[in-house]
Amino acid sequence: MTLEQAIPNFSDWIGEALFYLPLFIVFFATTGFVIGYLVSAIRRGPVEGFYAVAQVIGSAVFDLANTSVRRTLAMAMLAVQESIRRKVLIAFAVFIVVLLFAGWYLDVKSDNPGRLYLSFVLTSSNYLVLILALFLSTFSLPADIKNRTIYTIVTKPVRGTEIVLGRIIGFMTVGTAILVAMCLVSYLFVVRGLSHEHQVDGQIQTTLTDLAPDGLLQGVTTYDAHHRHTITMYDDGTGETDVVMGHHHSVKKVGGDYKIGPPQGGLAARVVRRGDLRFKDRSGNPGSGVNVGHEWAYRSYIEGGTLAAAVWTFDGMTAGKYPEGFNLELNLRVFRTHKGNIEKGIRGSITIRNPKAGAAILSSEPISFSATEFAIDRQFIPRQLKAIDSDGTVSDVDLFKDLTDGGKLEVWIQCSERGQYYGMAEPDVYVLENDGNFAINFIKGFVGIWLQMLMVTTFGVGFSTFLSGPVGMLATLSTIVVGLFRKFIVDLVTGVLEGGGPMEALIRTITQANLTVDLDIGTYPTAVVKFIDGVFLTGLNLITISLPDYAGFSMTEFVATGFNIEPSLLVIHILRALTYFVFVTLIGYFFLKTREVAA
Amino acid sequence: MSEPMTAAAPSQDAVDKSASDVIVETRNLAKIYRDFWGRQKVNALKALDLEVKQGEVFGLLGPNGSGKSTTIKLLLGLLFPTSGQALVFGKDASDVAKNERIGYLPEESYLYKFLSASETLDFYGRLFDMPADIRRDRVNELISMVGLDWAKRRQLKEYSKGMTRRIGLAQALINDPDLILLDEPTTGLDPIGTREMKDLIIRLRDQGKTVLMCSHLLADVQDVCDRIAILHQGELKELGRVDSLLKVQNVTQMQAQGLSQEAEEEIRAVVAKHGGELLSMENPTTTLEELFLNIVMDSEARPGRRARGDS
Repeated sequence: MTLEQAIPNFSDWIGEALFYLPLFIVFFATTGFVIGYLVSAIRRGPVEGFYAVAQVIGSAVFDLANTSVRRTLAMAMLAVQESIRRKVLIAFAVFIVVLLFAGWYLDVKSDNPGRLYLSFVLTSSNYLVLILALFLSTFSLPADIKNRTIYTIVTKPVRGTEIVLGRIIGFMTVGTAILVAMCLVSYLFVVRGLSHEHQVDGQIQTTLTDLAPDGLLQGVTTYDAHHRHTITMYDDGTGETDVVMGHHHSVKKVGGDYKIGPPQGGLAARVVRRGDLRFKDRSGNPGSGVNVGHEWAYRSYIEGGTLAAAVWTFDGMTAGKYPEGFNLELNLRVFRTHKGNIEKGIRGSITIRNPKAGAAILSSEPISFSATEFAIDRQFIPRQLKAIDSDGTVSDVDLFKDLTDGGKLEVWIQCSERGQYYGMAEPDVYVLENDGNFAINFIKGFVGIWLQMLMVTTFGVGFSTFLSGPVGMLATLSTIVVGLFRKFIVDLVTGVLEGGGPMEALIRTITQANLTVDLDIGTYPTAVVKFIDGVFLTGLNLITISLPDYAGFSMTEFVATGFNIEPSLLVIHILRALTYFVFVTLIGYFFLKTREVAA
Repeated sequence: MSEPMTAAAPSQDAVDKSASDVIVETRNLAKIYRDFWGRQKVNALKALDLEVKQGEVFGLLGPNGSGKSTTIKLLLGLLFPTSGQALVFGKDASDVAKNERIGYLPEESYLYKFLSASETLDFYGRLFDMPADIRRDRVNELISMVGLDWAKRRQLKEYSKGMTRRIGLAQALINDPDLILLDEPTTGLDPIGTREMKDLIIRLRDQGKTVLMCSHLLADVQDVCDRIAILHQGELKELGRVDSLLKVQNVTQMQAQGLSQEAEEEIRAVVAKHGGELLSMENPTTTLEELFLNIVMDSEARPGRRARGDS
């Protein structure tokens, strides 16, 4: 269970953003001016058209400078009252009903009910809130224009900015109130839904295992909430259970009884340090990993029993931060070319290396581990390690003194079994720093939903400045669909997905031609089809990259998989959302400004 | 709205003195409605030249579709002119800042039905950036003025048409405007409401406000307007002071008191000498209805004739 999405690096992102933003502003302003001038020139002639555009731009500056907070808030309050009148709270009621019936559909025997519960509440909140924002934002302004109530607004000293901003703020206020309520109810639903108690079932008695030849005090819990745990007690009277269904319990001996605590670890917010991944091929040269034939090329694979390795470089690894050593968590995929012992994991090794070329001590001794699939392996890397120097002598070394270079160290992972493969992507291996606060992480997840709601509301209000309600709703819905399927569209445009554009797809459908074979319609017709599709796909690509990546805004996976949402990621999302908010609000303002509301 | 109507218009001198400032001006103002493809649908207003001066009640008259409401919408910036200019307080009609001094009562009260009367007025007060205490006083004052104290907390959806009209009027006055544009102000009002509306218009004029109203209810216009413009098919057909427009120039009507029998006989003889019959000695007035119908008939008989805008 890990996060399967790439996490942008903030410094890289902000650098790119600051480079592209001015270009985008220039493009946006120029395009707006040219389109505005062309429309105006057609209506009024070239000279008058120019003056009209200049006048609009001049008054826009004046309007922006004179935008009043009181008027904007008055418009916002109106939007709130309107929303309440339109019985918007029904959305919340629907959510409560969905939660009440959720128990029927959620698989309570799931391996990880925490993830299931969290995905469910976050996803259902997300869709409900987006639908709510869609309906609220797209119908309000067109209804005002249709009912002519807008006449009494625009004949007051109200600026277009105030109308657009007021509506967005008003609908966001309503949406936020509902989202906060959903967040609270969801939190209680998850925490209460996962809460359960166990008792000791039978006796705690000494058992002998391979790992503990002297024997361990062990027992089992009662079967509650569709599972039971194995208890292990330590000499100091404390103990713990094994991890079942994604959680464990602490156990304490009080007098002659054993008290089993509440579930732990099921609702986590791990704060992790992530590294940069690179690969070595089977000869030990820099490479890119192997594709074992999976359609989804998210993970790359390294071959076992060769020099192939996956190398993570971690920064900021200091003794001050990890005085005893550090926990490394691995979530490796395994690809077996032969069955082997299916009960056992595939063996591999972890080596800590000094990234500095020519360092006195280059690497630790390999630490063996066994990769289990679909679960996280936690390996504690102690501060004192054995290392082999160039002479082949084994010596004790200090992790931070001898194997780091300015806080940087490398973790090499290799698969030891011949014919078997390890698969990994950059987020699969990380250093566990500590466990963050789950409740705060949960709220951060809802902030992600809030940002999506802001996008939908902004686009909805923006479209409603020049489209009728139903058309505006369809347009906004299109932005959501494109945003949610952004990767698919980008893959289609970049040729990652085969099958071409609409023309080629149509021809293939009619001729029943497989996607992987070349079009067999002649050289020139193929060129024409490719050209038409190229134009279409380029246009589609431009639209796609201009619209918000809704799937990217969702941070449900972080919360559900128990990873802390890094502040830098949150900041990136907030900055992205604000950029859309500013530009779409401006576009909406210009449309409203140049619209004859009484026409 | 319970004071009796003071129908007496201010003296000619008073009007001339206060009418020195032009509040509303249109220059060759024209509006053509087009469809999505830019094809002409209706030529709603043709080269209108008008001036409304400070302190007068100006009436725009015309049958349905004559361009009255279009003119008002152009002056408010709700529509953009196809050509020409609409100036209010010397500023272009598209300038939002002019709205600070304008009050507008639309043809129907386009208000938010889910708000109560107090909430409605408070909302519009906020749009004028009025501080809370001033807003509160003004809202109470206006609600009392339109006689809706008893229903101020009820949502407008529960209001009758007349009550909605009153609250519509109150919202038009929330900012104590210098120019009030009234689109069919007496529509939907009962006779008492109509009378109160006319009283109010006269009171506003007495306070030095400028009122521009459009209506097809001629009696209302005749009662309250100082000057009128008659539009037909988008063209200005008549423009001038109500009293002079309604004066029948070819009839003399005389009424006298305290004349001796001889004097009366003398006058009768003079009248008889000229083949007339003395009724009373004055210029009678026609009704505005008659004037209006004559102009419309004349306009249809001789299309294209326009009144000059400088009357």
